[in-house]
Amino acid sequence: MTFNSLQFLVFFMVVTLWFFRLKTQKGRIWLLLIASCYFYMSFIPEYILILGGTIVVDYFAGFLIEKNVGAARKLWMVLSLIANIGALAVFKYYNFFLGNINTAFQVLGKTMDLPFLKMALPIGLSFHTFQAMSYTIEVYRGKQKAERNFVVYALYVMFYPQLVAGPIERPQNVLPQLKEFRAYNWDNVKEGLARMLWGFFKKVVIADRLAMVADRTFGHTPESSSVALLIGAVFYSFQIYCDFSGYSDIALGAAKVMNISLMENFKQPYLSKGIHEFWSRWHISLSSWFRDYVYIPLGGNRKGSLRRKINVAVVFLLSGLWHGANWTFIVWGALHGLFVILLVGNSNELKEGRPAFVNTLRVIVNFTLVTFLWIFFRSENLSNALSYIQQIFSLKGGTHYIGISKVEFLFSLALIAIMMLREKYAAGHYIASNSRFYIYTAFMVLACYFFGVFIENQFIYFQF
Amino acid sequence: MGKRILSYVFIVLGLAALVISTSRNAMQYISEKRDTTAWWGAYPCLNGDLVSLSYLDAVKRFNPPPDHTPFMHAAHAPSDNIVLYLHGDSYTYHLSDSVFTGTSAFHYIDRNHGMEFSLDSSKRNILIIEVSERYIRPYFSTLRILDEVGNTSKNKQAQTTVFANGQDISYASLIPSFDVNDLFNKYINQNLQCNLFNYNFIIPVFEYKAALNYYVFNRASGDVVISKDKNFLFLKETVSLTDAGSSYTHLNENDIKQLVSNFNTIYTHYRKQGFKEVYLSMIPNAASVVQPEGYNKLIPRIQSDTALKMKIIDAYSLFKNNPALYYLPGDTHWNSRGKQAWIDMVNEYLKQQQL
Repeated sequence: MTFNSLQFLVFFMVVTLWFFRLKTQKGRIWLLLIASCYFYMSFIPEYILILGGTIVVDYFAGFLIEKNVGAARKLWMVLSLIANIGALAVFKYYNFFLGNINTAFQVLGKTMDLPFLKMALPIGLSFHTFQAMSYTIEVYRGKQKAERNFVVYALYVMFYPQLVAGPIERPQNVLPQLKEFRAYNWDNVKEGLARMLWGFFKKVVIADRLAMVADRTFGHTPESSSVALLIGAVFYSFQIYCDFSGYSDIALGAAKVMNISLMENFKQPYLSKGIHEFWSRWHISLSSWFRDYVYIPLGGNRKGSLRRKINVAVVFLLSGLWHGANWTFIVWGALHGLFVILLVGNSNELKEGRPAFVNTLRVIVNFTLVTFLWIFFRSENLSNALSYIQQIFSLKGGTHYIGISKVEFLFSLALIAIMMLREKYAAGHYIASNSRFYIYTAFMVLACYFFGVFIENQFIYFQF
Repeated sequence: MGKRILSYVFIVLGLAALVISTSRNAMQYISEKRDTTAWWGAYPCLNGDLVSLSYLDAVKRFNPPPDHTPFMHAAHAPSDNIVLYLHGDSYTYHLSDSVFTGTSAFHYIDRNHGMEFSLDSSKRNILIIEVSERYIRPYFSTLRILDEVGNTSKNKQAQTTVFANGQDISYASLIPSFDVNDLFNKYINQNLQCNLFNYNFIIPVFEYKAALNYYVFNRASGDVVISKDKNFLFLKETVSLTDAGSSYTHLNENDIKQLVSNFNTIYTHYRKQGFKEVYLSMIPNAASVVQPEGYNKLIPRIQSDTALKMKIIDAYSLFKNNPALYYLPGDTHWNSRGKQAWIDMVNEYLKQQQL
């Protein structure tokens, strides 16, 4: 069940109305857990067993970590991490590593036909395993008490708005909210719905429209002109932003309607003046997860320049691998890491107080860099990515067709401008006046319907 | 109080919409019973499935042209010694035995349901496997047909229709079953769309959106794509670069060899089961013949593979020369002329079987 589907709209309406009709928090938690199970099972029903398995392991691991001290405490934490990472390794990375081993043997002139796992990647596996690991690590650090109520803990992992594509939450933020009964709040409902509508607009009107261009240029690279390929790359940058941040807006909005505040995941990353700043604004819940649970435990920047660079490289390589079992993601992560190491080492990167035109230029340069790195992220393999980049710089001719008409191209540019301006100058979603809220709602519904591109596209980050 | 009652009403209506849209039986019942003429009736889909899918009825070039070819009956044959089994899809729905030459009985096997059969050893049993191009790879990349169509079928819920002398002999009953996957119907969004919005009084809103896309952005909505020459509509999955049913998805030699190998296994299997001959007829996607530039040549590559044992009823070679003559502009299917041309080809082979 994707957010941009009729099924979700009906599901959301039923669950939310029912949620506010229940008079106890216990009833609400059960309702949300059952709804979340249905939501997850609507993708591939059987995969709930994998999710259920990790929930049970982490629930009991939380107790055991809390109860023990010293080596035993650490042992239970490590076992819990092994269970979660093991699930990721088997279901997400097994075939990738196996493929590489087979290839390596072929290069050596030997055959090693190891059997591949014939199953699709469980939806959102990387998101909910990371959220589960966050819980056990926080319990281990003593910053979070082990949750006694299994239903509450299961809902912490499975809360449907953020189950399959984040934000990757922390137990300290979500668990207390799940346990507290909060009365119906019209202001929260308005803010949540307005945010959801903005998320839908970014997904179905902007991201899926830009996807037609990106799909065309990345699918027809050899015959496309350099200009067409460049437009495709730039449009993909905005597509992935509108797709993922649109998903986050819907997730945060849906939770807000039910009086639950989730962490922000994006803060206008394409207005960043450098790559370091970009990573403090893009997919914040993941970058802060790596910061708190990998970078700082490795020593962060406390153990000298060389160690800091190694730590940054490790974090970005892991970040690339987190996104997918493909060399394109690993190279994408590695290059981001390389640029963070090179540019943050330069003291100019973090210097503030420059003239406006210099800052504007830095934003443009940073966006260009990020866009070129997205080419690795979007391409099916490294060869295609390099070919795409090479053909942009070759300034060759070819077809300028980008999958949409000139009118729609100009319309797409206007939509990007509207989106950027709206998020820069009117970032909030709360509308105090009821009449203005109703007008906004009507306008956004009509805009989403008449200008939406309904092609049942899944959100890009569902695959992770 | 009023808001509370209203919220319960919406909860019940929402749940009902989800449950009904999940149930295959309920959706089948609704689709059979719904009126199409009244203002609250269902969208009648008069101008082709792709026109309906994209709500482009107002664009005349996609409406079906007057089809002057009468639907011919087969010429009389000297003897009716053939029992014809046709394993097919929507291209060959609604055929009766009267269109085929020399047949004493005609059994239609819908690929979506399967069938068990019992061959008449006193007759010449012929099997024709008709498959539209977009289903070749999704269906025949495995050997599931062997499980679904056989003497000892495992598919006990199979709905089979058997014709003899133009009359229905039997219908297997639809036995209700429960499977966890029934709760998660993959067509629930289409069903919800049908239940919540498929009413004649709402259709103009869809048509306005379709007109906006067509006249302003020069494209069709949703899963439909306009051909380069602007005269045909294609199903998006038949022209994408990634779908298995697409005419433009890259195919390597191993893909072809695998399909040929599967067809050979199927051929050997059914010959052993008692069929005198097994024919394969692959009907090209409209895109393959209307817009051949970049076509992956799935059909000609299979047909020309020297290892292929099955005999071919070659629709591709006929249709590629003049697709506009045989395909509907706003439909995934052929027109009645295309259908008749294919039946004529089949009858030629059936005549050979009588000799």
